[in-house]
Amino acid sequence: MTARTAPLADAARTPRHAETALRMETAELGMWVFIATEILFFGGLFFAYLYGRTHWPEGFAAAGRRTDVVLGTLNTAVLLTSSFAVALAVAAAEHDRRRWVARLLWLTAALGVVFLVIKGTEYRHEWSEHLFPGPGFALAATAGAELFFVLYFLTTGLHALHLTIGIVLMGAFAAGTEHASGWAHPPRLQVAALYWHFVDVVWIFLYPLLYLIVRHS
Amino acid sequence: MKDKPEPAPKDFAAAVRGLAATWVALIALMLASLGSAYLNLGVGNVVAGLVIATIKTALVVWFFMALRRASAMTRIAGAVGLATLILLMALSFADYATRARAPARWQSPQQLAPALGVGAQR
Repeated sequence: MTARTAPLADAARTPRHAETALRMETAELGMWVFIATEILFFGGLFFAYLYGRTHWPEGFAAAGRRTDVVLGTLNTAVLLTSSFAVALAVAAAEHDRRRWVARLLWLTAALGVVFLVIKGTEYRHEWSEHLFPGPGFALAATAGAELFFVLYFLTTGLHALHLTIGIVLMGAFAAGTEHASGWAHPPRLQVAALYWHFVDVVWIFLYPLLYLIVRHS
Repeated sequence: MKDKPEPAPKDFAAAVRGLAATWVALIALMLASLGSAYLNLGVGNVVAGLVIATIKTALVVWFFMALRRASAMTRIAGAVGLATLILLMALSFADYATRARAPARWQSPQQLAPALGVGAQR
């Protein structure tokens, strides 16, 4: 049994160790509470999507066919791999392999940047195809199609914002680990990694809803 | 669920193997999700997409986010978030699903006669 799962049991033996463990448990709990609020934040948008999709199925299907399934799938793979990288970094930190921690965190941040570049390419295509909601919207004749793209840009935009914060976070921890900064210790990294995984989970749901609506003819 | 959370793997190689297996499963599920979209399943398409996404989330939460090693308090915090989401979704859907949609025709703005004072129609 690890110390951080039973801080009070260890308190009698090594008070100092137990204090660290308790602080770690508190930090982890705090991040999960934050994630719970984020679930509800994105949950509202997912509800709006499901409402739109059940009320304007034709519009959502017509609009959903216009998203780029190849780039969307590629981005899903990139993000899943980045989560794998950060999970490896946490494992490496737990086993005192500092050089690997820094490398894996740089890889995580780099994959995040790759994701944003691919996403930006998609946005550019959609903009030039007049799929951005507003005057001159390409599918204006189909009811609900514009609503789909409102939600598409809103959810992917908010996701990209979260990811950008994650990239900065991972870059900071990578640099901090390289320079052996005191603040970049493994428990703190573990908490930061939770945030990255959460951003990945949001995308896991966005992927089928935005890219895989109706692909069969 | 076990009473006691699992301890961290002692061996680094074992930890890496476990995480790699999770990653392979996630990519396989992503491809399964992609494939299912090209089959004509009717309403089954969205169900398949969401079920696969839920399984992927469970894998990420359990293995990558190490919820299997977290304290009971932490697990409760995550579960409360999920439960609240389900509750709010269910209640909202119960409203919207049972509400008849009667779109009104667009009415252009117009100046109405004042209800009180000078020019009131009574």
